[in-house]
Amino acid sequence: MPVMILFAASLTVIGAVMVITRRIAVHAVLWLVVTFLALACVFTLLGAPFAAALEVIIYAGAIMVLFIFVIMMIGPAQPESDREKEWLRPRAWLGPAILATLLCGELLFGLRATPHTGTPAPITPRDVGLSLFGPCVMMVELASFLLLAGLVTAFHIGRHRPETP
Amino acid sequence: MLIHDLFLPLPLVVLPTGTMLLLLSITWHRSATRSFSLALLTLLLTLAFTHHRLTTFLHGGTTFFTEDLWADYTAALILLSSLCILGLSWRNIARDTDQPPDEYPLLLLLGTLGAVTMVFSTNYMSFFLGLEILSLSLTGLVAFRHHHIPAASEAAMKYLILSGFSSAILLFGIGLAYTATGSLHFAPPDPANNAIPGLPLAATIMILTGIFFKLSAVPFHMWMPDVMEGASVPVAAFIAIVPKIAVFSALIRYFGTGDLPPFLHGTLSAIIILTILGGNLLALRQTNLTRLLACSSIAHVGYLLMAFYSPGLIQSGAVAIYLIAYTTATLGAFAVISALATQEGTDGTNIADWKGQFTKHPLLASAMSLMLLSLAGIPPGIGFFAKFEIAATGVEHQRNLLLAVLVTGSIIGLYYYLNIIRVMLSPASFSSQTDNRRNNPELTALVFVLAIIVVVGGIFPAWLIRPVLPASASVNTAPPPDTTQETDSRTLPP
Repeated sequence: MPVMILFAASLTVIGAVMVITRRIAVHAVLWLVVTFLALACVFTLLGAPFAAALEVIIYAGAIMVLFIFVIMMIGPAQPESDREKEWLRPRAWLGPAILATLLCGELLFGLRATPHTGTPAPITPRDVGLSLFGPCVMMVELASFLLLAGLVTAFHIGRHRPETP
Repeated sequence: MLIHDLFLPLPLVVLPTGTMLLLLSITWHRSATRSFSLALLTLLLTLAFTHHRLTTFLHGGTTFFTEDLWADYTAALILLSSLCILGLSWRNIARDTDQPPDEYPLLLLLGTLGAVTMVFSTNYMSFFLGLEILSLSLTGLVAFRHHHIPAASEAAMKYLILSGFSSAILLFGIGLAYTATGSLHFAPPDPANNAIPGLPLAATIMILTGIFFKLSAVPFHMWMPDVMEGASVPVAAFIAIVPKIAVFSALIRYFGTGDLPPFLHGTLSAIIILTILGGNLLALRQTNLTRLLACSSIAHVGYLLMAFYSPGLIQSGAVAIYLIAYTTATLGAFAVISALATQEGTDGTNIADWKGQFTKHPLLASAMSLMLLSLAGIPPGIGFFAKFEIAATGVEHQRNLLLAVLVTGSIIGLYYYLNIIRVMLSPASFSSQTDNRRNNPELTALVFVLAIIVVVGGIFPAWLIRPVLPASASVNTAPPPDTTQETDSRTLPP
């Protein structure tokens, strides 16, 4: 088990390095998926399957779709087909794809093999929900204000302005 | 609705409510006047509710917040500063017809909310959320500068990247602390009884690094002058005051007022020496007033850290009066800059522009001199007693080296503060009186009130020297209470 955790953890680091060194945004996004999957593996193998599921569903799923959507929307300088051909050369996606497959296998194995015995019972979605709407309700509110601050800031900085000298 | 075992200071209820109302009013109709009055009203109401709390039931459950004199004091200071800054920015924003200025009061309220959250928090989670709310809204505020969009965007980008980096370090430290203690309670992990001895040390150092970055203590200070120069004058005042008070308050909350962990002594001394000398030396050659005030604020953080480093009988009063002295004098200086900028039609941040101000605007120039003298620590202002108290805390612990550095720093400080007064006294280079004096009564009134506080506080400092810090008995003085507290919080769900 420790070997598998170390493997997944090192893949996280490798993936993160690849994300920030890629020149094309789509390739970076592919590596980001690998990073998130590896992180989910680490969570699973450490005995936190719920956190791992959230990692996969929210980050590797929803947020990545959003990223790709935004990247597709921005910068239509070249014709569509050329751009996509350039983005999806096999040597760009082969590495992430192989690693993602490996990690998916590891994730499934981890979910299967996680021992659910012992005193610290695994945290279920119910526990998390009760905690979020119980004692942590103020934290949820503050987190939403954090998102609001980020949203307003991003909206303000990214707004289209007429060029004034 | 599940309101069980909640403990909430009321400012944390009023301020978010006001923010949401402001947001609603913006969606309904965009009007600068209405947004400003709503923000003003919210801040005033929050200030009125500072001493109150909303509590249903308090057992040993996870506590995120606390409410005591120290939290109330710093929260009130933060709210008052935000009020003043809102007043400062009114002209700036109202003149700007290019862009809808509604986001400015919204971001200001959000930033204040983040700072107030940090002040009241006793948990890593609430502390970090508050810190991030503050940083993110600061990024937006820095970028809020009409006619100087590229410079402001550059400053905002610098702040965003550096603050994100320091937040990452802080978060790593918090993670390590959680690994070491299994609790998110806002207190340094105890290195004595831990399986891995290096872990609490590393955690404390990383958390301190994050905190020092936000405080702009010297090895982590590079962003401060750049960001303040890029921001507009009221936002520069906000950066110089509100995050510093909030982070310093959290720092005291974190380590308590007892003796500091022994492994920190060397580090802290080094940082204090570097901060005082570095800030003052950096300020010497500045030609931009905002940059100069940024460097001087770095130096003042050094003085404050010296009070933090010397726990004892005098510490509480020293911190109380120093925070007030620094806040009023810095706010006053920025208020004069704003007033002059609107009267002269310039930016007001170039020191050379201040030539001959004593003949042109004698009242404003005198007020500016008063603020600068107070910052330098010269008797008529409140700054003298503040610095005196800081020195007294150092004397109490016989920290001779730090005292020598304090004196040296103050002497260097005198040079650049008095230099501005000298420039204001020198005759103006050109006598073309562009007499387009616009009346801005709110700025004049603000300057007047701050000047009165500085003078009266300097004459009757005993009113301000109060024990505001949390009692040292409750926070890690001796191992027995510490361990009980630890086991107490360890049983809780994180």
